Formats: sequence, C-alpha cells, structure tokens
Amino acid sequence: MREQQFPRARQDCLSREFGDEVLVYDLQRNVGHCLNSTAAATWRLCDGNNNSSQIAGTLSRQLSVQVDESIVQLALDQLGDAHLLVEREAPTEHPSRRVAIRRMGIAAAIALPLVTSIIAPTPAQAASCLHNLQACTSNAQCCSGLCAPAVHTCVGG
Amino acid sequence: MNVSGLMPGILPRLPPGWKVSRRVVVERLYSLVVADGFERRGMRRLHVLYANSIRVARDTSLNMVLEALENDLQRYTATATSEMTFLHAGVVGWRGRAIMVPGCSLSGKTTLVREMLRLGATYYSDEFAVVDDSGLVHPFARPLGIREDFFPAQTNYTAENLGASTGVKPLPLGTAVLCSYEAGARWQPALLSQGQGALELLANSVAVRCQPHQTLRRLQKLVEHAVFVKGARGEAREAAASILNQSCAEEGWGAA
Repeated sequence: MREQQFPRARQDCLSREFGDEVLVYDLQRNVGHCLNSTAAATWRLCDGNNNSSQIAGTLSRQLSVQVDESIVQLALDQLGDAHLLVEREAPTEHPSRRVAIRRMGIAAAIALPLVTSIIAPTPAQAASCLHNLQACTSNAQCCSGLCAPAVHTCVGG
Repeated sequence: MNVSGLMPGILPRLPPGWKVSRRVVVERLYSLVVADGFERRGMRRLHVLYANSIRVARDTSLNMVLEALENDLQRYTATATSEMTFLHAGVVGWRGRAIMVPGCSLSGKTTLVREMLRLGATYYSDEFAVVDDSGLVHPFARPLGIREDFFPAQTNYTAENLGASTGVKPLPLGTAVLCSYEAGARWQPALLSQGQGALELLANSVAVRCQPHQTLRRLQKLVEHAVFVKGARGEAREAAASILNQSCAEEGWGAA
C-alpha cells in the first residue's frame, strides 16, 4: 500500500550525471530523458518512503531555499509522464505548470522542474541513408534498399 | 565475387582505417554477384550484393551496388564496434579541439563542414564522430559526399580536393553545433546546458539501443568541457565563419 502511495523511482534505468542534470536511459522503452536540476533532485528522493510534502522538505534543506510542494508535484507529474516512476495506481490531481509558477512567484529561487525526452534512434535512423518518401536515384541510397523507379522515392523498409 | 578484377574499385570504398585481417572466421560475409555481359531480350542485367544471406542491393548499375556496399559497411562498422561510440555527425578540428555538427541526412551538416574546411579547419568526418573511452573524437575521414542543390545523388570530394588537410590526432570536443537550415535565417544560436546537449547527442548515437552503457559513459566523458549551441542557420558560409570565430574567441559562446 505504501509503495502505491509514495513515489518511487524506477531502478531499471541507466543514469549519468551531467553537472547538476541527470541523463536517464530507459532500457525497456529505448527513450532518453534529461532531468534538469530540480527534476533530478526530486527523482533522487523518490525512494517509496516519502510523500511529496516530505520530499519538498528534504529539498528545502538540501538547497537551502523554500521549495513549495507544488513544485515537487509538478516534478512528479513530469517524471510519471516520462515513465521514470514505478506506476502509481490512482494518480491524483496536481497543480498545472501555470499554477505552480503562480505559486512560486516570479523571482523563484530554483528552476521549474523539466524533463526532456527523445526516442533513441535505430541504427538506420542514425545514418545518412535516405528514409521512406525521400527522393532517390538508386536502391543503394535508401535505408530500405528500395528506390521506387517510377516515382524516384525510397519505399519499404 | 563471381568475377575477378573488381578489388581496385572496392578498396577505396572500405571504411577509413581498414586493415587486412588474418582471421579465418568473419563476422559478416559480403557476396557480390556481377551480372554476365550477355544482353538478353526482355531481361535486365542485375548485379546483386548480399551481406551474409541477406540481399543488400540489386541494381543494373554496378557502381550503385558498390555504393550500397560502402554504405552498408559503414553502417555495420558503426553499429558493431563496441570499442568506440559512433555519433551521426560531421566533425572538423579547429585550434586543437573538435567542432561537431550532429544531424541526420539532409540536415546540411556536410555543407557546413565543407564551409569550415574552406576557412581553414581540419577534416575529421562528414558522417560519424567516433568517440573513445576517454571521450576523444577520432577521425573517420571518408570522402565528403556532397549533394548539389539537394539532388539526391552525391559527388565525393576528398578534403585535399577542397584545399583542406585531414586530421589524424584524436581531439577533445570543443563545440557541438545543433542547427537546421532555414532560408534567410540569421545565425543567432542559443546555448544549451550540458545535459540537454548530451541528450541531443544521444539522439544521434548509432548504437545506443544495443550499447546503452558504453554510449552513456562515453558521452559523459565527451561533453565534459564542451559547449553546445543550437539554432537555425541561413547560408552555411556565414554560420561557418561565426562558429569558427566564436569557438576560439576568449569570451567564447557566452556572448552568443
């Protein structure tokens, strides 16, 4: 029950620190995520034993600034959307990014949490061959190996 | 090969830095079947290339089939090599550091590399940035494949054809330039954080799906002292000059 209520970071992802940001690679979904400093700090505290209020308290002590719970909720929402948390059974209503910004005020002491994601490319996507529907003159140019002669366009694959 | 005398045409198409191996067991076996010289009515003479048992190319032009061999070999090398991480990017050397232009095909990276070579940069690659365990960038100096006016066929030029030299020494990454072409755009890039920059490089990692641990580890080393800039560029010449100037200026990209 406790695990369902309190956020817990997935342990089956690869992560590396880049300054105060963290790059996370989801091995199951082949998706990469960049967590900015606030999202990364929140993610590290998601051990299944703390609720958002407790995480906000810990963050406030760590960063020596008052961190509102709405900021933590916003981070948890983004981390959840990115599938970086163990799924919670009943997601609760959280304040939107706009509400969180309003609550924080204009001169916020910490950055708003941000999780940016990309889908990892397949080898063919990350190479200089032409993809489907791009113009071609021979089969050799297409990732699929098939250049439709009538329309001079890569097809198949 | 079912005919002799083709090797002189194949050797220049092997990946840069190839060596003869004495191993009798190979990981990938290419077979090239060249059509015979007899014309038969209603029949096309097709040359066929196989990698192991998979057909890679089939075309009436032998040159196109050899081009497919070249492309497939490069793709296979980039995917199968575990000692290095291959990023899809153009690279030049400039004042002891690498300038990297990641991007997919038709993003204009070769054009930008060519312009930087014209301005005195050293050629490393127009296709792959090859990164070792220390995060250094190695050359993969295949001939530049230049598409004129977005015509899909490419013409190959060596760096020397363009009046530039080819780099040999591995370099640390200085600047990674993430740009897209936009007619008439003025090059005014924004700085990216290290994490955001690393994520952009991850999106151009050829083998991240099969080698995620090595890729992340090498990316972390690669970006340690690198600057990332992102924006739309207009003409490559203007952007290239600005990139080279700001990559060596004391104030660097802080003023960008």
